[in-house]
Amino acid sequence: MMVKKILFWFVVFLVAAWFLTPVVFIFLAALTPAQDYYNPHKIFPSHFTLDHLYKLFFVLDGWKATIISIEVALISIAISFAVGLPAGYAMTRYKFPGKNAIRLSILLTRSIPLIVLAVPLMVIYMRFNLADSVMGVALAHTAMILPFVVLITSSIFSGISVEYEEAAMVFGLTRFKAFIRITLPLALPGLAASAIFSFIMSWNEVFVASVLTLSNRTLPAHILNTAMTSPDYFKFAAGMIMAVPAMIFIFFTKKYLVSMWGISLK
Amino acid sequence: MARVKIENLKKYFGKVKALDGIDLEIEDGEFVVLLGPSGCGKTTLLRSISGLEKVTEGKVFFDDQEVTNLPPKDRNISMVFQSYAVWPHMKVADNIGYPLKIKKYPKDEIEKRVKWAAELLNISELLDRYPAQLSGGQRQRVAVARAIVLEPRVLLMDEPLSNLDALLRVKMRSELKKLQERLGVTTIYVTHDQVEAMTMGDRIAVMKDGKLQQFGTASEIYHTPANIFVAGFVGSPQMNFFRMRVSSEGTKYFAVGFGMKIPLKGDPRKDQVVMGIRPEHIYDQASGSTQEVEAEVYFVEKLMSETIVHTNLPEGGRLVVKIPGDVSFQEGQKTKFYIDLDKVHVFDPETEERIKL
Ligand SMILES: Nc1ncnc2c1ncn2[C@@H]1O[C@H](COP(=O)(O)OP(=O)(O)OP(=O)(O)O)[C@@H](O)[C@H]1O
Ligand SMILES: [Mg+2]
Repeated sequence: MMVKKILFWFVVFLVAAWFLTPVVFIFLAALTPAQDYYNPHKIFPSHFTLDHLYKLFFVLDGWKATIISIEVALISIAISFAVGLPAGYAMTRYKFPGKNAIRLSILLTRSIPLIVLAVPLMVIYMRFNLADSVMGVALAHTAMILPFVVLITSSIFSGISVEYEEAAMVFGLTRFKAFIRITLPLALPGLAASAIFSFIMSWNEVFVASVLTLSNRTLPAHILNTAMTSPDYFKFAAGMIMAVPAMIFIFFTKKYLVSMWGISLK
Repeated sequence: MARVKIENLKKYFGKVKALDGIDLEIEDGEFVVLLGPSGCGKTTLLRSISGLEKVTEGKVFFDDQEVTNLPPKDRNISMVFQSYAVWPHMKVADNIGYPLKIKKYPKDEIEKRVKWAAELLNISELLDRYPAQLSGGQRQRVAVARAIVLEPRVLLMDEPLSNLDALLRVKMRSELKKLQERLGVTTIYVTHDQVEAMTMGDRIAVMKDGKLQQFGTASEIYHTPANIFVAGFVGSPQMNFFRMRVSSEGTKYFAVGFGMKIPLKGDPRKDQVVMGIRPEHIYDQASGSTQEVEAEVYFVEKLMSETIVHTNLPEGGRLVVKIPGDVSFQEGQKTKFYIDLDKVHVFDPETEERIKL
């Protein structure tokens, strides 16, 4: 019993260490003053500094990139859900010819690396005056997020019995109202989780954002361009900036994320 | 409350004819049971009446109003689903009151009616709980309470008891029936359990393959089944069937075969007939007008309250006999049974329809 417990916690510790060690070192390095960082005799800094973060944000225009990142993510989530939610609903609730073909082709779009699309997209964007714009990146991210939203909402809706909706219709609601008042509230946790997951997908996307923009860069694209030519501690500070929001999101929504993927923790 | 009239109703799912021309007239306040084997179209018929399913052809009337193309919300019906469909994100009280809320009843009226329905179904102390905190039987009561708060024109129930254990099922059976009598609401109740059908229905509609086989009281269905299917589907153990020759002696007609010679009440106008006799209409002692038959006991099921004897007839064929009480038979024993001639059914072997004699 005791041995089992010790073994259990040992494994937990190992797994946690495996994932957390690099994160800890990134954070440490990000907060280490320059002179300590280059001192080979010091692993832990004598004091912490927010200097690198400050410089990254305010001197190197990181705050602007952050705002663009958020804009891009929000726009692509909005478009993806406006189109993907009804599509996901239709995929589960209705029978129509070619349904499986559509489902498959949605999956197939995910098999094309976005970077392959980026160059032709750039050409088209130049024609439509979308190059180097927030909207342009948001649309490209939508191409990445929309299929995910269709598939995941369809699986969320299929987990909610049609009979809940039908009962509401029998008792006096239209199909649309039944969806709004019954199915939507039941789907909300899952939908929120997929929205956050979509946010992170957009937030973390580098390549397309780098190709499609020059001045209006999202945070990762901006970091790739500026920090990578800067001293190492800047790179770590950049890494921290990228990781922290995603980690905070996942921490607060872990329950829903788990349920969205259909795994249950007991 | 309303009369329900169904005219030549058809519902095809692609090539599957789920409903293939159903005609049915249900009286105001009547409790009608749709009975039939799995896949015969009971649920489809119920859903067509509710409007959840669009029919391929035919008409549905409530009283004199045609509702065939009305959406479910405008039909003023209630439904108890097989899965109950009690909304998980609402408390029991909100579930029951929701139909009223949709129809914009004032708050105190909703509260009053929820209380009334909850008391009727014995779930008053559950009103503050969420459905996840209820047992199957309690959830089923909530579904019924929700279905009756609005005094619907027609109450539809799709196998509401099928998820309950046997004991609770028997209890709820009588409770539902009593409730319906009290409310006087026209009720259409789907089941594939014949005991449920016989005990609850004012009339029973027996279905098979999307077609109505017979529509009548339990007694009519049991005593004068319209065809071989109904005769075989209702009653347990199943009715015995024998395909027999018809012979005549002067003006008298007999069904002959399997070591039996059964006098018929009239001329069947057939060379052959299917003779049917229920196991409970075969006795172990002669009485009244019976016909003796010799058989060899093959297998005995002792249920204590009754004994079911499976026997082989000398000319082949199997005869199942149900004797009340705990009677002992030896396997392999040759014994005499007595067929009650008043309870013999005769069917046309080709059309499988009952022959009236
Ligand atoms: N949505 C559907 N699409 C295609 N076929 C269907 C659909 N619903 C029902 N069917 C078919 O129609 C027939 C009747 O089905 P229905 O559900 O009405 O049967 P049932 O009598 O209620 O059976 P059970 O006792 O098993 O519930 C079946 O053959 C079924 O496969
Ligand atoms: Mg059914």
